[in-house]
Amino acid sequence: MTSIHLPSRPAEGARAAGAMLSAFRLGAGQTLAGWQVLAGRCIFYVIILVVLAALWDKVAAERLPGTLAGQLPPGGLALYIGVTEWITLALPAVHLRMEDDIRSGGLEPHLLRPKSYLAQTFSQSLGAAAVRLAALGATALALLAASGREPPPLEAFPYIVVLGGLGVVVGILLYALAGLMALWARRSLPFQLVIQKLMFLLGGLYAPVTLYPPVLEAVAKASPFAAHLYWPSAQAIAPSWDGFLMGLAWQGLWILVLALACAWLWRRGLAKVLREGGV
Amino acid sequence: MIAFIRLYALQAGAAIRMSFADRANFALQVAGMAVNNLVFLTLWVLFFAGFRSVGGWGFADMALLLGLTMTIVGTCGALFGGYRDMAVSILRGELDALLTQPKGLISRLLARESLAIAWGDLACGIMILVLFAKVDLADLPLLLVALSAGLTVYLSAAISFACLAFWAAGARSFARDLTDFTLLFSSYPGSIHQGAVKVLAYSVLPAGFVVMAPVEMLREPSLRSIVVVLSAAIAYAALAGGLFHLGLKRYRSGASAA
Repeated sequence: MTSIHLPSRPAEGARAAGAMLSAFRLGAGQTLAGWQVLAGRCIFYVIILVVLAALWDKVAAERLPGTLAGQLPPGGLALYIGVTEWITLALPAVHLRMEDDIRSGGLEPHLLRPKSYLAQTFSQSLGAAAVRLAALGATALALLAASGREPPPLEAFPYIVVLGGLGVVVGILLYALAGLMALWARRSLPFQLVIQKLMFLLGGLYAPVTLYPPVLEAVAKASPFAAHLYWPSAQAIAPSWDGFLMGLAWQGLWILVLALACAWLWRRGLAKVLREGGV
Repeated sequence: MIAFIRLYALQAGAAIRMSFADRANFALQVAGMAVNNLVFLTLWVLFFAGFRSVGGWGFADMALLLGLTMTIVGTCGALFGGYRDMAVSILRGELDALLTQPKGLISRLLARESLAIAWGDLACGIMILVLFAKVDLADLPLLLVALSAGLTVYLSAAISFACLAFWAAGARSFARDLTDFTLLFSSYPGSIHQGAVKVLAYSVLPAGFVVMAPVEMLREPSLRSIVVVLSAAIAYAALAGGLFHLGLKRYRSGASAA
């Protein structure tokens, strides 16, 4: 008599983790294969840093009395901007991938597979982001050396790497929310644009949120957008263990909340697709 | 010429009606872009509230620059929306079908699409010009000159970048990137650019002639500034036309970059 072995929960978990790792490798491999696009992204990074550094250097050089210029760090905000743009440009367009799958009917074959579409897509995007982070990080270091600017203190680097990596995770989850909205609205672009601009404003893409009026600063610091950009980037101009832990706590909280929000939207959207068909 | 403009209006009108067809999607895209632009404006409001001016540029100057940029990009997207994917059209061999038709090849490529999102840019651009840019009715003629010239330079630059597709397969995203770089330079105060970056902004990525020189013309009108703005528009239009026809000659000979 043969016996049927049902997979145990730990075995299932291990298989799911293995599948996610494969998706991560796939995303990283695809990004490396498209090295021309990656190189273009690095050039864009250099150009945007040149423009924004020029803006903040001009402000810092003028130091107009009675303005916030007195609160700027001695070296200006070039290092801060370098980190915010490093994270921003490392984000893959996960919303577009989801929108394509949802609108083209590419989603349906995924539903027949035993692996979660959401987890696989997230892992693949994370793989792409990891390669971009590495390439853009190397570009940033080269640019920093070429510019002759004072680098951040040595202890800031591990803080920036850890918080930057988690900031990218927050960003991917935010964009995944925009992508999942395509299950109802067909297009994710309007949602992505709003999320992106909130990243700019509340995330402090161009300037630390500490320069904002107190109420806006408090709102921004507690938002997922600051967990995405501000907390990692603040370490470039004022590194501290306390700041690092604070950033880590906010990022942990928002990763949990956003992951649950994504899972909830996915279940609702999937139920709609199964009930009413594609969008 | 009138027949050509009439034909273009009919083609662009059809593209616009097509973009209106899915009303909910259209409204979402316009609203999304409007929020996007207003948040961007808010960033600059906060910036100038904190730092007052940068290199002599105040908030009104920045609002004028943003208003011009949004109006130009909005008009381009709504009426000449095909410019965004022109490189893709060339690489896919879509010119073959258009070559069999009479009259304006570039115009047919430009009029084939109208971007819904562009109406959000256009509405915000006009709103910013009216409310924040400190331009009055007397400035209207110069404002129209600035918008027309800026639009010509922006569109000509985008067409020139798309023409790279006649020679290189990689131009598909590169052309779009170059257009976006131009837009990036057009979104910051002209006073921050120095040295090589300034040369770049007034040549390869002509943000200088899309908005910066027009802003200067509106703030300090002079015959010299008007001549500079108009000459740049003519020069970039001629460059785009020349590059397109050079590329088309190669395309007709059967050489394809794809």
